[in-house]
Amino acid sequence: MADITTRDLLSETSPRHATGWRALRRYPLFPLAILVFFLVIPAVFAPLVAPFDPYAGSLSARLIPPFWQDGGTSEHLLGTDKLGRDMLSRVIYGARVSITVSLIAIFVGGIIGTVLGLISGYFGGRTDSVVMRLVDISLSLPTILLALVLSAALGPSFMTVLIVISVLLWARYARLVRGETLAIKELDFIARARVAGASHVRIMLVYILPNLVNSLVVLATLQVGYVILLESTLSFLGAGLPRAEPAWGLMVADGRELIVTAWWVSMFPGIAIMLTVLSLNLLGDWLRDHFDPKLKNI
Amino acid sequence: MKPKLGSLFAGLLAMVAAVLLSAVPETGWAQTSVKRLVFVSAGFDESNRIWDVSKPDHVQFDPFLETLLEVDPATGEYGPRLATAWEHSPDFKDWTFTLRRGVQFHGGYGEFTARDVVYSHSLMVRDDSIATLGDLWRQVSSVEAPDEYTVIFHFENPVVLDTAEYAFARSGDLKMVSQAQFDKEGEGAFDHPAGTGSYEFVERNSGLNIVYKAVENHWSGVTPAFEELEIRIAKEPATRLAMLLSGEAHIGDLPRELHADAIERGLKRLSSTMSVDWVSVYFGGMYFITGDPAFDPKVPWTDVRVRQALNMAVNRQELLDVVFAGRGEMAYISNWTSASEGWDPAWKDLHEELYAYNPERAKELLKEAGYGPGDIKMQIWAYTSPGESEHPAIADAMGLYFNAIGVETNVELLDWAKVRGTYRDKAIGCCMWPNVISWRPALEGLRNWYWSGSNSHHYEDDFLDAVYEEWNNELDTDKRNELSRSAARHLIENFAEVPLFWFRNEVFANGDVIDSWVYPGLGAGRTTQFDLIKPAS
Amino acid sequence: MQQGMQHFIAVRVLQSLLAALVMSVIVFGLARVSGNPLDVMLPIEATAEDYERLSKHWGLDKPVLTQYFLFLGNALQGDFGQSLKYQGTSAMELVGQRLPATLELAGLALLISVILALPIGVIAAVGKDSGWDVAAKVIALLGQSLPGFWLGIVLMWIFAVMLGWLPTSGRGGIEHMILPAITIGWFQVAAIMRLVRSSMLDVLDSEYVKLARVKGIPEWKVIWKHCLRNASIAPLTFFAIVAGSLLTGSVVTETVFSWPGIGLLVIDAIQARDFPVVQAVVIVFAGIFILCNLLVDILYAYLDPRIRYQ
Repeated sequence: MADITTRDLLSETSPRHATGWRALRRYPLFPLAILVFFLVIPAVFAPLVAPFDPYAGSLSARLIPPFWQDGGTSEHLLGTDKLGRDMLSRVIYGARVSITVSLIAIFVGGIIGTVLGLISGYFGGRTDSVVMRLVDISLSLPTILLALVLSAALGPSFMTVLIVISVLLWARYARLVRGETLAIKELDFIARARVAGASHVRIMLVYILPNLVNSLVVLATLQVGYVILLESTLSFLGAGLPRAEPAWGLMVADGRELIVTAWWVSMFPGIAIMLTVLSLNLLGDWLRDHFDPKLKNI
Repeated sequence: MKPKLGSLFAGLLAMVAAVLLSAVPETGWAQTSVKRLVFVSAGFDESNRIWDVSKPDHVQFDPFLETLLEVDPATGEYGPRLATAWEHSPDFKDWTFTLRRGVQFHGGYGEFTARDVVYSHSLMVRDDSIATLGDLWRQVSSVEAPDEYTVIFHFENPVVLDTAEYAFARSGDLKMVSQAQFDKEGEGAFDHPAGTGSYEFVERNSGLNIVYKAVENHWSGVTPAFEELEIRIAKEPATRLAMLLSGEAHIGDLPRELHADAIERGLKRLSSTMSVDWVSVYFGGMYFITGDPAFDPKVPWTDVRVRQALNMAVNRQELLDVVFAGRGEMAYISNWTSASEGWDPAWKDLHEELYAYNPERAKELLKEAGYGPGDIKMQIWAYTSPGESEHPAIADAMGLYFNAIGVETNVELLDWAKVRGTYRDKAIGCCMWPNVISWRPALEGLRNWYWSGSNSHHYEDDFLDAVYEEWNNELDTDKRNELSRSAARHLIENFAEVPLFWFRNEVFANGDVIDSWVYPGLGAGRTTQFDLIKPAS
Repeated sequence: MQQGMQHFIAVRVLQSLLAALVMSVIVFGLARVSGNPLDVMLPIEATAEDYERLSKHWGLDKPVLTQYFLFLGNALQGDFGQSLKYQGTSAMELVGQRLPATLELAGLALLISVILALPIGVIAAVGKDSGWDVAAKVIALLGQSLPGFWLGIVLMWIFAVMLGWLPTSGRGGIEHMILPAITIGWFQVAAIMRLVRSSMLDVLDSEYVKLARVKGIPEWKVIWKHCLRNASIAPLTFFAIVAGSLLTGSVVTETVFSWPGIGLLVIDAIQARDFPVVQAVVIVFAGIFILCNLLVDILYAYLDPRIRYQ
C-alpha cells in the first residue's frame, strides 16, 4: 500500500534542507568521522601517534599550559599535567583504555545477559520468573553506591569497575533478549526445527541468536558511551581505575582542583569524553532508527 | 512549517529564560561592610559532643569553647586562659589549677567554676569517647574541687610540664562546658552547648555550616570584629576557591597545590606563626624488635642501604618549590622541631650529609645492597582526607623519583581506613605511604609512632623502646633532652623514613575584608582564636 | 479492582520486598568487608585499648552474622541504628534530615529537563530528519555525553565566579538550586526528548490526526492539543524510571555544589565507614527505585491487560 505518511509530507515541504540532510540521513558521516578520529585511530595506533610515554613525567615540566597560551611550548601541544606528563599522549592512550574497559565490560555484561535472556525466554516458566526477578533486583541496585562500597572493599581496580559495570549492563541485555526470544520462538521455522529433532541448545544458538544480533549491536553501541561516562564518574568518586592509568575519567577527576587554574588538565580529556560519547550516541540513534525501531523505548 | 517552528522554539526559550532570570538576586555578593564572616573549610567530623571528635576537628569548638590554658598566638607559648595559675606536686602527679573569677557561661548558665572542670573532664573519659588525648585523661584517677576556684587533677603517673601544659591548653582537647546546663537540659544540652568563648553557638546545619555570634563584654575584654561567624563546609577545593573569589566566603583553606594560584588571583595569605604539620613518607615493614614475627627480611628496604638510596633519590628542594611553591621548611626527621624537647640544630648538617639529593650514589647503594634496576617493586599508597590533600601529589612525586633510580613503583589511591588498617596489622611491608601529621610534644610523638606498644609501627626497634621507657619516667629536664636527642639521632642515622617538610597552616582571605590574623597554628583545629581576626579598615 | 490486577500487584510487591532484602544483604556484606569504621573514626593516637573499648561499645566485636540479624531485626522496625559519625543521631534521622534537600533538587532537575525536553522532542518529531531534528538531538545528547561533575564545576565557574550571577554552592533559595539542578537534569533531557519524539511521531502519523488535518484544524493546534496529549502517556511512565537516575546523579552533583542532601551524606558515610548510615541510605535509594519500578509496572499493567498474565 502506497502510504504517504504525514512525515514524508512534512519533509517535502522544506526543500532547502532536503538535499544536504538527506545525504546525512543515509550515513551518519559526522559521528563516524569523529569516532574514527578520536577513538579508533588513537586506540589502535596509540604507540605510533602519541609523542610521549603517557606514564613518564618530571616535576620540572609540571603544569605547562597548551602551546597557544603564555608559557606553553610546541613540545607539549596540549600542555602537561600535575606530574609533567604530556597531555596529548595521555589523551591518546586514554582512548585505548576507555575502549578496552567499555568493550570488555559490555562483552561480559552482554554475554551474561544474552545467555540468561535466551534461557529465560526460551524455557519460560519458573526459570523465566527467577531470571526476571534477578533482572528487576539488578536494575534496582543503585550502581554508584554499589561501586563505592565495592571499591572501598576491594580497592579501586579494573576488576571493581568491570564487576560494577557488568552488574549494571547484563540486566538490560537479558530483558531485551528475553523479549525477542519470546516472540521468535513462536514462529513456524522454530517449530519445524523442533520437529526435525534439533536440540534446545542448537535452536537457541543457531536459529534464535542470529536474529537477535541487530538489536544487540544497537544496544551495545548505545551502551559504550554510557559506560565511558560511568567509568569517569566512578573515577571522580575514587571508585574507578587505578591511579596510574591514563584513563580519561581519571584525568578529569585528577584535574578537578585545578579546573580554574590549570584548566587543560581536565578540559581535554573532558572534551574527548564528550565528543566520543556524543558520536556514539548519534551513531547508536541512527542505527536504531534504521535497523530496529522496536528499541525506541530503551 | 519552518517559521512556525522557529517562533515556537524562540517563544519557549524566552519562557525558560524568564523563569531562570527571575530567580537571580539583585544585589551582588561582595558587600562593603561584612556582618557575618564566612570561613569555608574542607570539612571535619561534625558534632557538638566534645568527646566525640579528634583534635583537628576542634576547629568547630574553638570560637565558643575555651580551655584552662592559652597558646600565645605569636610565640606559641603557654599562658593563662580560664586558669590564672597552675602548679604541680613534686612527683608531677597532682596538678592544681587556680581558676579565673567572673567568667560567665553563655545562655545565662552562670559562672564558670571548679565543678564545670570536673564535669568537662568526665565527658572526655566516657565509654564512647574518641578524644585524641583520651589516653591521658583516663590516667586521671580523680579530679578534686576543694573550692569554687580551685581544681586538682590527680594523675596515676607523673605528667611533665611540657605534656601537661600541652594537654590543658588550647592545643589540647579539654574544653570547658557547663555542668549547670547539663543539670537543666540533660542530653539536650549537646544540641546547643553553652561555652565561655568570645563567640556564642547559634546553630548548626548538618553538612552545611555552623553559625556563631559575638558575645558582648567578654571576660577577656576582646570583642570580635565581626558580629557573626559562620564556618561553612565545602569538600571540593574548586568550590572553596570559587567561593573565595566570588566573595561568598571571606576566608578559607585551600590545598597547598592551589596556593600559588590563589595568590595570583589576589587572595591574601594568612599564615600561622608556628610550624604545625610535617609530611614524611613512611616505610612498611620496619619491625626490628628482636623476635618480631611480623619482620620480613625479604622486604628490600629492611636493608638500611636501600632506605638511604631511596632518601637520596628524592630532590627535596625541587619538590618543595614545584609542588608547594617553596612554602615549607626542610624536615630532618618527623616529629621534632625547634619547639620540641631535645632539638639539636646540628641535625641540619647531619641531614645535608646523609640525605642530600644524589641519584647516582643512590643507584650505587642499591647495587651494593644487591638490587639492580627493576629488582625492587614497591607500592605507594596515597589517600585524601579533608584538609590534607597533598598525599597523592607526594606519592606521585615519589613514584617519579624512585623510578629514576630503577625502582618500580605503583601508586595507588586508597582511602585512609584501608591504609591505616593495614599498617595497624603490620601487614604493610609491600608499601610506602605519605602522611601529614601535626606537631605534639616529642615524647608523645615517640610514643605514637616509634614505640612498639602503639598502633602505628612506623619504625620500631629495641633501642627506641628502651629510650621510650626511660624518657617516659624521667623527670629531670637535661636527662630528658638527652634521651630525646638520642632517639632523634637514631632515627635520622638509620633512615627510618623519608622525611620531607614542615608546614605552617595557611588560609586564604579576601584582602578587602580582612587585614590580618595572628594565630599560632598549634591550637586544636589549626585555625584558632577567630576573635583575633583583624578586619580591613 | 479485578482479581487479576490484585494478584499482579501482590506478586510485584512481594518481589520488590525480596529485592530490598537482597540489597540489604549485599550492602551489609560489602560495607563490613570494606574495613573497620574504627580505623576512620579513631584519632591516629588511639591505642589497642581504645579499639577494644569502642569495638565493644558499638557492637563491632560480635560475629558478622549476629550483626546482620541484629541489623535486620531493627531495620524491620525502622531502626537503622545510631550513626557512627554523627554521634547522638540515628541513621534514619539523618536520612530524614537530608532527604528533603535532595528531593528539592531532583524535583527542580526534573522540571528543568521536562521544560527543555518537551519542546525539543516536539520540534524533533515535527521536523523529522531535518536540520532541526539533528540539532535537537545534539543538544539533548550533549547532556548525556558530559561527565556530571565536570559540567557542574564548569557551570559553577562560568555563572558563579566569572559572571557572578548565581552563588557557587550551599543550600538556599532557588538561586542556589539552579546550577546543580541543571547539572543533574541535562542528563535526563535526552531520554525524555527521545520518548516525546517517538511518541509524537507515532501519533502524528495516526488516522486521528489525519482526520483533524482534513477537517482543517490549524497545524499548531493539531500538534499541541491533539498529538501531545496522546503522546504524553508513554513519557509519564518513564518519569518514574528517571527518578532513579536523578538520585544517582545527585551523589556527584551534591559533592560539587556542597548541597547537603542524601547523596553527599552517603559519600561521607562510605568514606567514614558509617555502616548504619550507608545501609539506611542504600535501603532508601533502593526503596525509591523499587517503588518507582513497581508503580511503572502497575501503570503499564493497567493500560495493557496482557501484561498481567505473563
